[in-house]
Amino acid sequence: MSIMQYNGGSVIAMVGKDCVAIASDLRLGNQALGISANFQKIFPVSDRIYLGLPGLATDVTTLVNMYTIKEEREIEPETFAHLVSSTLYERRFGPYFIEPVMAGLSKTPSGSFKPFIAATDLIGCLNFAKDFVVAGTASEKLFGVAEGLWEPDMEPEDLFETISQTMLNAVDRDAYSGWGVVVHVM
Amino acid sequence: MAAASVYSSPGFDFSNQIRNNFLTDKGLPLPKATSTGTTIVGCLFDDGIILGADTRATEGPIVADKNCEKIHYITESIRCCGAGTAADTEFVTNLISSNMEMHALTHGRKPRVVTAMTMLKQYLFRYQGHVGAALVLGGVDSTGPNLFTIHPHGSTDKLPYVTMGSGSLAAMAVFESGWKANMSREDALQLVKDAIAAGIFNDLGSGSNIDACIITANHTEMLRNVEMPNERAKKEKSYGFRRGTTDWKSEVIRKLVLSEEVTPIGGGDAMDTS
Amino acid sequence: MDHIDMQQLKSGEVNLGTSIMAVQFEGGVVIGADSRTTTGSYIVIFFQISVDSGASEHRLQANRVTDKLTYLHDRIYCCRSGSAADTQAIADMGHYYLQMQAQTLGTAPTILTAAALMEKMCYTNKDQLSAGIIVAGWDKSFGPSVYNIPLGGGLFRQPWAIGGSGSTYVYGYCDATYQEGWGRDQTVEFVKNTLALAMSRDGSSGGCIRMCVITEDNVERLFVPGDQLPRFWEGREVLGEAKKPQINRDVVPMAVEA
Repeated sequence: MSIMQYNGGSVIAMVGKDCVAIASDLRLGNQALGISANFQKIFPVSDRIYLGLPGLATDVTTLVNMYTIKEEREIEPETFAHLVSSTLYERRFGPYFIEPVMAGLSKTPSGSFKPFIAATDLIGCLNFAKDFVVAGTASEKLFGVAEGLWEPDMEPEDLFETISQTMLNAVDRDAYSGWGVVVHVM
Repeated sequence: MAAASVYSSPGFDFSNQIRNNFLTDKGLPLPKATSTGTTIVGCLFDDGIILGADTRATEGPIVADKNCEKIHYITESIRCCGAGTAADTEFVTNLISSNMEMHALTHGRKPRVVTAMTMLKQYLFRYQGHVGAALVLGGVDSTGPNLFTIHPHGSTDKLPYVTMGSGSLAAMAVFESGWKANMSREDALQLVKDAIAAGIFNDLGSGSNIDACIITANHTEMLRNVEMPNERAKKEKSYGFRRGTTDWKSEVIRKLVLSEEVTPIGGGDAMDTS
Repeated sequence: MDHIDMQQLKSGEVNLGTSIMAVQFEGGVVIGADSRTTTGSYIVIFFQISVDSGASEHRLQANRVTDKLTYLHDRIYCCRSGSAADTQAIADMGHYYLQMQAQTLGTAPTILTAAALMEKMCYTNKDQLSAGIIVAGWDKSFGPSVYNIPLGGGLFRQPWAIGGSGSTYVYGYCDATYQEGWGRDQTVEFVKNTLALAMSRDGSSGGCIRMCVITEDNVERLFVPGDQLPRFWEGREVLGEAKKPQINRDVVPMAVEA
């Protein structure tokens, strides 16, 4: 058992046509014992950035407090991703046990919005994917299901169905995630 | 006040170490970081350097990123391929890139490849291999084309063609049989592509696409995904779900557009807006 | 594929599992080394641009050549064995201090100064280093000299010194062969033969031989490619020629049912 599995939980973010979605499960566990069935893992950073933090729950709380304190202002998703990355890399030799997943809409020079997703590992290595990013105890299952179900240019309604079904079905085969799913569509 | 509360000293922060050691002692092993079990190469040709890399990033047996960038920017005419712990290669090249820019600004001339090499080796040596970056550094400066390998512990080698990462043996086999002194740009690019392809197809830690970067005295050309030998076939059918498939319990809609209504208080006159 | 584990990051250090040597003679010293560098269990093959002796042009040699003969000052070189990173860092520091000293004093440093400096670095950091170094060269005060700095530090002046993993195989050969009063050519032959013998017995040494002859006048680099190494007795069939098997043509192959 790794520290990453201690509390359980999974997050996924997906890109659609001019929209993004981010979803997490709701379980908080103490190894095999279920503690809560309504544990928040996705947090709004600004109006257009949502941050998912699967991993060790104590670090989730620590980081959420940190970003709330530090970032009470509008920030571009790309910039925020680098901030998260640097924060984690600063603790390269004593990391926080979380693998953040970010979803947002970034402003283009013309004033419209472009979907943005990113994820990092626990020491801040950024992964800018064009389709989807996953993290948490069900990440292997999520990779498989999402690889099969994701398709380009989904409308918000279709993106909701795809991300919901990906999450629900992956989480059903993960003992450490579950108790329902919360989905945010931007 | 605010500035003081968010101040943090430069360098790494070890404040989680006691807690993490406690957890490891309890029998919870430290998780794996993303690594680039990579194929990266560099090769000298008649008037410059060509660097090459695959685009796979792995997390244990999982492919974490199918199209990541492993050729990092140092200066306009110096680039660096990274293998090893992905976060380390990313941050170490970023740091040295910044220092090279500062160096260029303070001295008022273009810094050399050996300068970047020395900065990198001294940094990596200081961390005794704990910063796990294995690098191929190449570029053209006032002394001509230069190519180096830098190992995680800080040892360096200056060579006319180099390979690194888990696919280095496959790639070196291609170089050993095909490299010649003073190759043309086209031949050298083909050789680099073949070397990376050998890594992609024969090494499980490498995969996806080929990136290349051609550096000559007055031009640098970044060829992102020059070859894509593993493109996924288009899905024959759509696997989209019918709308309404997911049985959700509650919905909250957050309005991002604020609507303001101004209610004038008191009997004052409306503002003159003419 | 070996994925990088947070706890295993120190594995895979680059080693110079080496054969190195330095011998003094009347007018100077001859230093030599093999060219193999290894990481873990692989043999990492390195190619090196080599400067041909005498001529000023640079020529590319398609040989497996790592340069373990490292410049410290104009007439002072060192042979490196152990961790590549550690010995490079020490040599870089030594090079820096000797440059500073030569600049401030206006005279070339002695071999003793250089060797004592290197020894100090090796001894004070002995817990963190794996470096076996031979410092050799020529200076105005003492003429040719060879100093051996073994693994944990210590400074020993010797007429000849050998080091690295391959050296253990050839101590007897050196003891039996070395003679005082040799000239340049004899010394070069001695170094070449010793290294060839060490390289043939030691799996961590190999490739080709690089040598430097350091005299008052100049530093001359010599190369022996891998296919032109001195060869010694390499064994022959002890049990005699194997008898050719007698094939009995009468034997009928076993019938196999279809």
